[in-house]
Amino acid sequence: MAGGLRPQKARTPVEFFLQQLVNGVTLGGVYALVALGYTMVYGIIQLINFAHGEIYASGGYMGVILISWLFAHGFPPMVCLGAALILAMGYCALLAMALEKVAYKPLRQSSRLSVLLSALGMSIFLQNGLMLTQGVYDRAYPTEMVQGGFHVHGVIVSYMQCIIVGLTVLLLVLLNLLVYRTRIGKAMRATAQDKTMSALVGINSSRIISVTFAIGAGLAAAAGIMVGLYYGSVRYDMGFVPGIKAFSAAVLGGIGNITGAMLGGLLIGVIEVFAAGYISSEYKDVFAFIILIAVLYFMPTGIMGENVDDTRI
Amino acid sequence: MKRALSLLAVLMLALALTACGGKKDENKAGAADGIKIGSLGPLTGQYAADGNDMKNGVLAAIEVMGPEMGKLGPVTIQSEDDACDPRQAVAAANKLINEKVTAVIGAYCSSATIPASEPLMAAKIFMITPASTTEKVTERGMPYMYRTCGRDDDQSKAAVKFMTDQLKAKTLYIVDDKTTYSQGLADNVEKLGAGANLKVLGHEHVNQGDKDYSAVLTKVKAANPDVFYVSLQNSASAAPMLIQIARMGIKAKLLAQDAVYHPQLIALAKQAAEGVYLTFGYTDKTTPAYQKFLAAYKKYGEPGAYSAYSFDSTVAYLKAVKAAGSTDPDKVRAEMAKLDFDGASKHIKYKENGDSGSNYVIQVVKDGKFTNYWNPETGELFK
Repeated sequence: MAGGLRPQKARTPVEFFLQQLVNGVTLGGVYALVALGYTMVYGIIQLINFAHGEIYASGGYMGVILISWLFAHGFPPMVCLGAALILAMGYCALLAMALEKVAYKPLRQSSRLSVLLSALGMSIFLQNGLMLTQGVYDRAYPTEMVQGGFHVHGVIVSYMQCIIVGLTVLLLVLLNLLVYRTRIGKAMRATAQDKTMSALVGINSSRIISVTFAIGAGLAAAAGIMVGLYYGSVRYDMGFVPGIKAFSAAVLGGIGNITGAMLGGLLIGVIEVFAAGYISSEYKDVFAFIILIAVLYFMPTGIMGENVDDTRI
Repeated sequence: MKRALSLLAVLMLALALTACGGKKDENKAGAADGIKIGSLGPLTGQYAADGNDMKNGVLAAIEVMGPEMGKLGPVTIQSEDDACDPRQAVAAANKLINEKVTAVIGAYCSSATIPASEPLMAAKIFMITPASTTEKVTERGMPYMYRTCGRDDDQSKAAVKFMTDQLKAKTLYIVDDKTTYSQGLADNVEKLGAGANLKVLGHEHVNQGDKDYSAVLTKVKAANPDVFYVSLQNSASAAPMLIQIARMGIKAKLLAQDAVYHPQLIALAKQAAEGVYLTFGYTDKTTPAYQKFLAAYKKYGEPGAYSAYSFDSTVAYLKAVKAAGSTDPDKVRAEMAKLDFDGASKHIKYKENGDSGSNYVIQVVKDGKFTNYWNPETGELFK
């Protein structure tokens, strides 16, 4: 009994700062992964895909189903995580492609408002679908799978945080390679710049749009799984708040810009954590959005956003 | 054709998740005659688990009491969702009035119960809350407002007494998530703690339904309190906090409150829930009344925090109706005052203001179970 009340060494302000930085970068990495889906889809068809948060939640659910099953059957943690990541990313990629075919493609020639409403509708459909099929209760991830961590000068870094940051970096590098070093990436960039012109030179824009949705969804699924493992549970409505935050991150970075989304996600995560750490956790969202408004006031296209001529918008 | 194929693809993907569990919700709108009981609580949103527990408690009670009602029956349920939202709660209450229910069992969040009670009282409909512990609920002079659970002023007293007398704590850190209930309770604890020489090192507010508490927990760790008082609206918010507390290596004793009492807390937080103390109403699970409840509740799964209170609330109302021989509000009210029986959760005897008394004890999570730990009445440990 008395053992628990043993005094601990108080922390120095530097350690406090570093600890908050570690927390912020972890959170920011997740936002960045989700933000990429928004920004890539916007870049290519100028649509805010409101159902993206639900794709992320679906990834989280697929992850819990797969990981629980694999872990219960005695597979080593890294195998569980790897297999679940690949399968859930694949599942979400298919889901997003189907979503695009059913809800967005038929509206390609319609006004942008119709597509936006269709996206909102799909978001509600998917969220309620998750609620009806998976129940209203939180589902537990086997958090015992990845436990522990290490100290560096009084700053605690958990292994789960390492995995999140490591995996985020890996996925971001892969994405950059894909977009800037492959033919399909070139086609994506071309389609984003000018759909008609790229179609004229033989790029199948429908396919490219599909691929873009799939990639964004895959990244969101990875984020969903890592969040589930980090916080220990998933719930059918888990996609809403991170969806809004990631969307803000995409706007902050300059919507349509991939590097911008990564930067925006990281910034929102770090700002949120520092606002909570130094000011008040009550107002952390307020600060994140104040920064967003301030950036947009001075840089209307976001941090990395380019000026685009009116014909594209 | 192509369109139909892609539609099929979406349906299949959606159904792929169906295969992995989940259950259907049956809501039957009953026949016009007999007794119609309204069940009000969050069936969707982040507190959906608690709302469903309450609804299941009502269903179990109807099953037990229904056959005893004779000519007054049949007893049916009309279940409404308030999503723990004050506006939706008022709308749901009005709907229940239109559906001609004579009593409402609910709601969960005090911030929904209080506004919903206004139209119900005007329509002379009983409202018995199994879960809203904020003092104000029964302190507004409403004749048809009852409460089967305890009150937060008593709960905070028990909490502070435990911290000073049993844990011998000198310093305290408080976190709440800003609901009428959680903040009210946290404020009470802060006030009482200050009077009992407990130094409050900090009182932080987080947002409802947050999952990332790392920033605030870094502060707690830096403050290094003896006791960390966690006042959150439900178990699903508390579980990630416990996981992160363990991960951060915070050594403070953890004390939580009744809203986080739920089998889900342990299911979600697992090892991180071990050793957490919480204040909860004392229920003797060996009594015949509890066993009877458990048997009726079995098909809905493991009882949640308020399942038994919800069951008792419904049973109390039906007993009063039976004694009155009608659902006439004034006759039933006279009978409610005379009630004196052993419920599943505790002994039920309503006071003039509708309260039924508090019996908070300290429980601890031990070996994956909630276990009675310390009795503030006697200042002694349970055996």
